[in-house]
Amino acid sequence: MLGKVLKNFDIRTFWRDVRFLKWAGQVLFLILFAYSLVLFVQTGINNLQSTNIPFSFDFLGDTPGVSIAEGFETLPDSGLRMLHVGMFNMIRIMIGGIIVATIFGTLLGIARLSSNWIVEKAATALLEVVRNVPLLVQILFFQAFLLAFPRLEERDRGEIMFHVSSKGIAYPWPERQESAFMFFGFLLLTIYLARRVFKWRVSLLEKEGRDTNPFLWSFLTFLVLTFGNWAGGYKLMGIIGLISGYISAIFDSIPSIAYQGLFSAIAVFFAFRYIRKQIRNTDTGEIRGILSDDDYFRIILSGVVAVFVVLLMFMPFGQNITYFLEGDELFYKSNWGMPQFFDGVAKRFDFNISGPPVIMSYPEIVQAGTTKFTRYSPDLGKVTTVGYFATWFGVTLYTAIFISEVVRSGIMAISKGQSEAGLSLGLRRRSLLRLIILPQAFRVMLPPMGNQYLNLAKNTSLGVAVAYPEVVAVGQTLYNQEGQTLPVFLVWMIFYCSISLSISSIINYYNRKMKIVER
Amino acid sequence: MSIIKTVDVKKWFGDFQALKGISMEVAEGEVLVICGPSGSGKSTFIRCINRLEQHQEGEIVVDGIELTNDLKNIEAIRSEVGMVFQSFNLFPHLTVMQNITLAPIWVRKKSRSESEEKAMELLERVGIPEQAQKFPGQLSGGQQQRVAIARALAMEPKIMLFDEPTSALDPEMIKEVLDAMKELAESGMTMIVVTHEMGFAKEVADRVMLFDEGLMVEENTPNEFFDNPKNDRTKLFLSQIL
Amino acid sequence: MIRDSKFFIENPYGRWVRDNLFSSSSSAFLTFFAGFMVIYSYRGIVGFILNPERMWTSVTYNMKLYMILAYPDEAMIRVWLSVGLALILGGLSIGFYNSGKTISLGGIFQKLFTISAVIAILIALAPTNTNVIQNDGSIEVVEIIPQDVRMLILVPSLVLTLAFFFLRNVKIKNLFNTAKVNLTYFGLIIASLYFIKIPTISLDSSGERIIPDPFLPIASTTYIPWTILYVGMLLFFFIGSLLKNRDIKIMARLIPISWFLCPLFIFSWIFKKPLVELNTVFSADIPSILVFGVIGFLIIRFSDNESVGVYRTPINIGFLVLSIVVFLLPLVFIFKATMVLLLLLLIVSPAIATTKEGKRQLFIVWVVSLFVLTFLIRGASSDTMLVTPTGSIFGGFSLTWLLAIFGTYASFPLGLALALGRTSTLPVIRIICTGIIEIVRSVPYITWLFFASVMLTVFLPAGVEFNLIIRVLILTAFFSGAYFAEYIRGGLQSIPKGQYEAANAIGMNPFQRIFLVIVPQALRTIIPTLVGSVITSFKDSSLVAIIGLFDILRIGTSVIPAQSQPVVFIGRNLEQLVFLSFFFWVFTFVFSRRSMKFEKRLGLGER
Ligand SMILES: Nc1ncnc2c1ncn2[C@@H]1O[C@H](COP(=O)(O)OP(=O)(O)OP(=O)(O)O)[C@@H](O)[C@H]1O
Ligand SMILES: [Mg+2]
Repeated sequence: MLGKVLKNFDIRTFWRDVRFLKWAGQVLFLILFAYSLVLFVQTGINNLQSTNIPFSFDFLGDTPGVSIAEGFETLPDSGLRMLHVGMFNMIRIMIGGIIVATIFGTLLGIARLSSNWIVEKAATALLEVVRNVPLLVQILFFQAFLLAFPRLEERDRGEIMFHVSSKGIAYPWPERQESAFMFFGFLLLTIYLARRVFKWRVSLLEKEGRDTNPFLWSFLTFLVLTFGNWAGGYKLMGIIGLISGYISAIFDSIPSIAYQGLFSAIAVFFAFRYIRKQIRNTDTGEIRGILSDDDYFRIILSGVVAVFVVLLMFMPFGQNITYFLEGDELFYKSNWGMPQFFDGVAKRFDFNISGPPVIMSYPEIVQAGTTKFTRYSPDLGKVTTVGYFATWFGVTLYTAIFISEVVRSGIMAISKGQSEAGLSLGLRRRSLLRLIILPQAFRVMLPPMGNQYLNLAKNTSLGVAVAYPEVVAVGQTLYNQEGQTLPVFLVWMIFYCSISLSISSIINYYNRKMKIVER
Repeated sequence: MSIIKTVDVKKWFGDFQALKGISMEVAEGEVLVICGPSGSGKSTFIRCINRLEQHQEGEIVVDGIELTNDLKNIEAIRSEVGMVFQSFNLFPHLTVMQNITLAPIWVRKKSRSESEEKAMELLERVGIPEQAQKFPGQLSGGQQQRVAIARALAMEPKIMLFDEPTSALDPEMIKEVLDAMKELAESGMTMIVVTHEMGFAKEVADRVMLFDEGLMVEENTPNEFFDNPKNDRTKLFLSQIL
Repeated sequence: MIRDSKFFIENPYGRWVRDNLFSSSSSAFLTFFAGFMVIYSYRGIVGFILNPERMWTSVTYNMKLYMILAYPDEAMIRVWLSVGLALILGGLSIGFYNSGKTISLGGIFQKLFTISAVIAILIALAPTNTNVIQNDGSIEVVEIIPQDVRMLILVPSLVLTLAFFFLRNVKIKNLFNTAKVNLTYFGLIIASLYFIKIPTISLDSSGERIIPDPFLPIASTTYIPWTILYVGMLLFFFIGSLLKNRDIKIMARLIPISWFLCPLFIFSWIFKKPLVELNTVFSADIPSILVFGVIGFLIIRFSDNESVGVYRTPINIGFLVLSIVVFLLPLVFIFKATMVLLLLLLIVSPAIATTKEGKRQLFIVWVVSLFVLTFLIRGASSDTMLVTPTGSIFGGFSLTWLLAIFGTYASFPLGLALALGRTSTLPVIRIICTGIIEIVRSVPYITWLFFASVMLTVFLPAGVEFNLIIRVLILTAFFSGAYFAEYIRGGLQSIPKGQYEAANAIGMNPFQRIFLVIVPQALRTIIPTLVGSVITSFKDSSLVAIIGLFDILRIGTSVIPAQSQPVVFIGRNLEQLVFLSFFFWVFTFVFSRRSMKFEKRLGLGER
């Protein structure tokens, strides 16, 4: 094989051999890149050492000593916990935003294609306004708009249904109870069963050719089971808890070396499979004679990654890599958090839990502690704060506008030829849109839609301007406390990269699935 | 004296072997026509000759220079071999004149005025001197292909490769391109032409080859090739195409 | 059915109404529903704006603050010169690129008809009253548009509408050049400064507030400069037309170059008022020009010399080594920048300097660009002579422009390089570039701005310090560079493979192939996208307000709402944000519309 690589390699003129030039250039580039990176980092480390705040992640374990305005925990006991609250707040806005922006954006996109003049013009006007004003200005405007509402005064105190003030918007909300996990677990099971019933009735229909009422059947199944669920049937889910308890015990007894071995083996296995895929002929399984530059590169890279993972696992410091952030619960010692996870599951799915899964809770305006101020009660009903509202509304509206453009151009791309085909089949305009154009347009729209979701995720970071404690704002608070700017930045970077990666892999997954359907 | 010589040239695309050992020679001033069914490796072969594709085994020698990974040899061979593509591949952002003078100025480092003079000469030779200042998009297909021929000739190559130069053209334009090629052949240029224009092959070619599935299955004079083919594969091919 | 009545069938307007508003019963429902929504929102917005709680003087009074923050009063002429330079160049280009498109009088009246009809409808629909929330939570209704004021506007606009409606159809042969018509409109806007009065606040000599005349003219200091600039613009419009008629070809190259250099010149010399020390000029600039001028002359002179040609490769390598040495040595910046220019000359001169005429022209271009480069760098790298309380002469809108323009300038070459790297066939380079692009893009801009404001200094070698604006510019270049790279990559991928092959077949080397064949085509296909992303970076520049730069947004959200002298504007956020929305809207909307038209005219959009 080496002979083939070096075929015709003339040592006298090696410096003008194409292969040599290619690889020499790349190696040179790599060296230059690595060198400047090292230089950059080295300067950073030196400069940090000369100040008295050396680079460290310790603050993640320390108690930050500041509170967060909103989130699942307002007085977190560690820096990492605090960042979790920020991340959770960000994801909350992102998911709510994606759902609403998609629905609203699609409607708007269809409105822009409407044959009704006034609907089309109104949609276009909204688009032109929102698209041409910076998002930050819009978010600040929504904040200022809410802040201009009257303040909460003593005379407002008492129970209410719905209330808007400069503190936010309060409204009733179903409060989750202890049994909610089991209830929703059972609900998922119910939905699955209803689907099975539907399919079964449909297959019966196709076999016997009589009306088997599949929809009615599955609906009745759903109704009956949900009723039973509410009446206490969810207790059945306690089985999951029981099993989880055992699994947790099993994981607890596995020594840490087993985890190391497992992860190394996985890494080596995947690298091996990948390399084999590169050099074997896909059809016949023979070893390939000729490999391209890219093939060599991939083989080398995957080999290096595998070796690196194995080294990481078995090097002296590798054992500790899982808990280099001492004291925090997410980074468990040696067992990768498996027992804790299953313990948590066991606790939530317990035979002894009872009571309704959700209870409606109504907001109330109360005295703030012992001070003379008035506020919404934090435990009752739901309060959307000004920061949350401004960020969520601004980001959602802005994204919806861009989604409407995606939808519009997607529909236009499809509808040209297909409309005529559909109309000639005698379909009416509306059914044409629903049955023929939208399903196909969806395929065209998916990748740009994914881009818009990515933009939405990034735009949530503007919450920092309206004091909404999402991950950037929380990080800023943290480094103002501790002075550890760089670690915080790394956390931001890893967080946003993983968010982007997850969104784009979901989109890619659907994209691929659609392509398969197409064939 | 052969100006092109290939010995047992093999080429793979990943798992697929497109050329399975082609050995042939072309003499100086000779016009060689290659034909064969689609996917038989004709394009791949002539693209190997000027290194648009890299052959993996075998030898290719052009005008005494062996085509290896040596950059100097590659450059030398490319500057001796001109190529005309099926889809013209003119540079749409440049005028016809700029298209033709680009390589002489930047690669041959000739002066602008000299290359423009030469370009006008070439345009006259292919019959479209009046189109010099237009953009390719404003020309008909036949005119574009003739510009492409002029562009290749501007490098003063010793050998010209044609890869189905007429198959993207409307019937009424084919003739003007074939005429330009005939004229070129008469002037003594060495040419390898991949084409399905059997009339051209009969009239102009010195030799005709048939490729099939990566192999050269027949090599013959035009008369023999069309009237008295040796190989069954050739008979089948001719019966399909004629 | 009403829909089938005579009016709807025979009358063209009736038919339009039927087809576009009442084509089916659901469409009719939509019409009523959407109509109600539109009118309701419109009335809400008008009520919001005219609400007596709003204090619009907080915007009008602070207009200067918005534009230039604390730029010293005595140097105001420099601001006007900057604006003037852009306007003059605009006038020149409008004149020179005038497409000669014309519009008939009827067409003008048609437009005026639409405008006055819209005004009439808007006035008729405007609300009379609005609700004011009192402090105790109760709601009071106040009148915002008195009946007589409404009539005062409504009646004339109705009359005009009617008049234009009939004038629309006049058949007058006279056609008007659209460029001239547009210039006239612009003139009308400027003339309106003399007549339209906008309430503002004035102070007497002791700094006490004069109880305002509610209709004082808009900042009386601005109409004279605007008039002068407008006249200048007109003058250059005619000069441009003249040059076009004379068919002076070189202008077609000079004007784009001037547009490119104009912001650089404005920001480094006009706006800045640099403190240029003569001894640096003599010790650095003049030697640099002389040395490089001579080297350039030698390169041009001998570039086609036979005996030198043999040594071309060693000479090129020598220059490359020399430039690396120059970069590593602690030389003045001018030498380093000029060295880059010299490498460029080395690349192009064999292609251009082949005849006597070509050599002469190239030498002139070389000398001129040497002078321009030295001049700009001298201005940019000198301190300013202006003293401002905030420490930076850029603030408000001037800062927004600075960020938008230089963000684009710096990110474009970076984006091109990254895009080329990402589409390269060399795997190492491709992976590194892909990694950089993806990481930079997946992290939001604001976090990069935080990086610039608090972290970047850590990574700079000791002794090197940039102020915040420069640091922001560096990070912005990276961030929008990564975005540009993706757009450019789109363009590169749209180039058919045949183009690469053709370039290879005529013997071009990779650099020639990329820069003579591929990149020019790729850029052409993505001009619309690039314009879009320039608009995006203009909008994004408002984010710097979060990290404490005093751009126009920060002035509106933190400076003005904290003013208590001479008038209390505390808490006046909403007014500022409404104004800023409108302000940004006008710029981005007009810019995107104009560029769409421009693209169509150049025929660049399609290929
Ligand atoms: N870049 C490539 N990657 C993979 N396979 C290729 C590539 N180029 C060509 N092939 C395959 O190589 C074979 C020969 O292709 P080639 O283009 O030489 O055929 P051809 O004889 O010119 O056919 P046609 O008459 O259609 O032009 C074909 O089966 C083709 O699918
Ligand atoms: Mg072919």
